[in-house]
Amino acid sequence: MYDKVIEVKGLTKEYKELKAVDDLSFDVYEKEILGLLGPNGSGKSTTINSILSLLKYSSGTINIFGKEMKPDAYDIKRDIGVIFQEVAVFQELTVYDNIDYFCGLYISDKNRRKQYVEDAIELVSIGNYKKFYPKQLSGGLLRRLNIACGIAHKPKLIFLDEPTVAVDPQSRNNILEGIRKLRDNGATILYTTHYMEEVEQLCDRIIIIDKGKIIASGTSDSLKKLAKIEEKITVEIHRLSEEFLEKAKKLEHATDAFYDGKMLIVSYNGGKNNIANMIDFLRQNNLSYLKVYSERPSLNDVFLELTGKELRD
Amino acid sequence: MFIHNFKYSLKVLLKNKQLVFWTLAFPIIMAVLFNMAFSDIENNEKFDAVHIAVVDDEDFRNNKMFSETLKSLSDGEDKVFEINYVDEEKAKKMLEDSEIKGYLKIVGSEPEITINSNGVEETIFCHVIDEIKSDSSIVQDLGMKYVMQKIRSGEYQMDFNQAFTEIADEMMDSDVSVKDNSPDNISFVMIEYYSLIAMACMYSGLLSMTLMNYRLANISAVGKRSAVSPAKKGGMIMGSLAASFLVQIIGLVMLYLIMIFYVKVDFGNNMPMIILLSFVGSLAGLSLGVAVSVLIKAGENAKLTALIGVVMAGCFFAGMMGIMMKNIIDKNAPIVNYINPVAMITDGFYTLYYYNGLDRFYIDVISLLIFSAVMILISLRGLRRQRYDSI
Repeated sequence: MYDKVIEVKGLTKEYKELKAVDDLSFDVYEKEILGLLGPNGSGKSTTINSILSLLKYSSGTINIFGKEMKPDAYDIKRDIGVIFQEVAVFQELTVYDNIDYFCGLYISDKNRRKQYVEDAIELVSIGNYKKFYPKQLSGGLLRRLNIACGIAHKPKLIFLDEPTVAVDPQSRNNILEGIRKLRDNGATILYTTHYMEEVEQLCDRIIIIDKGKIIASGTSDSLKKLAKIEEKITVEIHRLSEEFLEKAKKLEHATDAFYDGKMLIVSYNGGKNNIANMIDFLRQNNLSYLKVYSERPSLNDVFLELTGKELRD
Repeated sequence: MFIHNFKYSLKVLLKNKQLVFWTLAFPIIMAVLFNMAFSDIENNEKFDAVHIAVVDDEDFRNNKMFSETLKSLSDGEDKVFEINYVDEEKAKKMLEDSEIKGYLKIVGSEPEITINSNGVEETIFCHVIDEIKSDSSIVQDLGMKYVMQKIRSGEYQMDFNQAFTEIADEMMDSDVSVKDNSPDNISFVMIEYYSLIAMACMYSGLLSMTLMNYRLANISAVGKRSAVSPAKKGGMIMGSLAASFLVQIIGLVMLYLIMIFYVKVDFGNNMPMIILLSFVGSLAGLSLGVAVSVLIKAGENAKLTALIGVVMAGCFFAGMMGIMMKNIIDKNAPIVNYINPVAMITDGFYTLYYYNGLDRFYIDVISLLIFSAVMILISLRGLRRQRYDSI
């Protein structure tokens, strides 16, 4: 029904001297997962909070479902689900009651709500913990409860603000699987994180922001093309002299090489047999190694090239 | 939406162990402890007359109201005071040597009390003198009224024996006449119980503040989640307040049941008025909790500290930690107790205990209702201004 679900134009949020968000413009399309990627403090949460009218922004316009978003836009809010970075549940209520309470803020019909609550519990796989209190749950289960509370009313648009922070790998996979299911069920998702693996796995499009500004946007593949390097070869090697490091830098197609005391990492800007050439180089120089592997550039490499710093700084 | 919020607010409050302790259990524990601590005092010690001195000068001897009343209060088996009639120097010396609890000096027609400490006997001394003073002004008013009536009707020859009889009769019927303050009727333990009820009323602020914090996006993550929902803030707050009030009433009912059936406190005929005052006092406590939660721009702990600080300061100025403080504030900074809800509650209880009339009691009840309305209006204004939650 709606092509653009969210339209943000010229969004700026200033805190005295600091511009937390600086003239941000982007759209989120129906049934897509848009990843908002950036390091801590880059303005991701401020952007989400401004879109949700939790923050008064300095300038710009925000439309959701084709209508202006305001604090009292209750008809828009009815179709929105939000999963915040902080776990937002009542410690005094059980898992079931928490989900039922938050679902009840959107759905007044008891029978329909009961079904929705059960569906949410199933989606995040916490059926065995319905009568547990939040303090009895592990960090991962708590995050899953947090998600269930935000999506139980089956919203059309879901905001996920770093939902996997401090979560074990098993729970993270479970959460990511749940998010995919939500998209498959027709929801549009705006996903913020500073974990590049998550956006690579999950998002249809990615916006990279830093210091409140969009520095790149596109699909994962298109963004990776922004990187000057095409391949990275990593060698686990216990000892490497300066002489051999200099030799590695001069390998065919190599643009750079560095050794951190354990790993030799060589970047290439082209070439088809770089890994074979690397193994030949190691043999010829009688260098003993444990592992050799090749990688394509990651979003972190893109971010590093664009900003000169790591995503997780 | 109201019922949904009310139901879950109730669950949240009743599952919060700290809240249940401070608002439901703590007043009951205090009541039981008071009973254990004070029952022996009331039962065994009967009543020891309070040793005081009176500065026996011209002003005192001319003030028949004080001289005669104190004389009657220091006679017989049930006497309230053991009085030493001495000069001012001697009275000071006796007080310094702790031979007496305090002394009274009449200056013109005004009583001046001097005490060294703030104990129970000093409290009784101050109260009785206050009552005599109160009676004295009633007699003066009635006497003046009697004389004016006679003059207006052209009767310039007055029979003063008849005048005193008429004034005494009118005092008996008067709405503001004081109760019998004989030792049997003076119970400082009752004052402690009333103070306890007042404290329990004000602790209702903890209930409303806890729930309000869950409704504000700039205070809690749950508040943020509620703020992005289509549920209107007003409906959620009303549900929360109704749940807080119900829990508070449950707490008060439990407290009264324990006090009446276990501690055996005799509230006499005042029970309906005490319940009314407790309800209105609880409303004041709830509204104070809402105001602290909405108006103080700080974290949850800072708000809790602020609320407890305000309640404790209110208790202190209202005389819960020593009745003399209330007298000092009433005399030197009356405005403090006019805006102090704790003072309004305790004053209402003291009024029920010491006076037959209900005028002053109703003024306290109305004052508490006005206080509650002001707090709620200020909070609503604060909430309306927070169109954006500014998290």
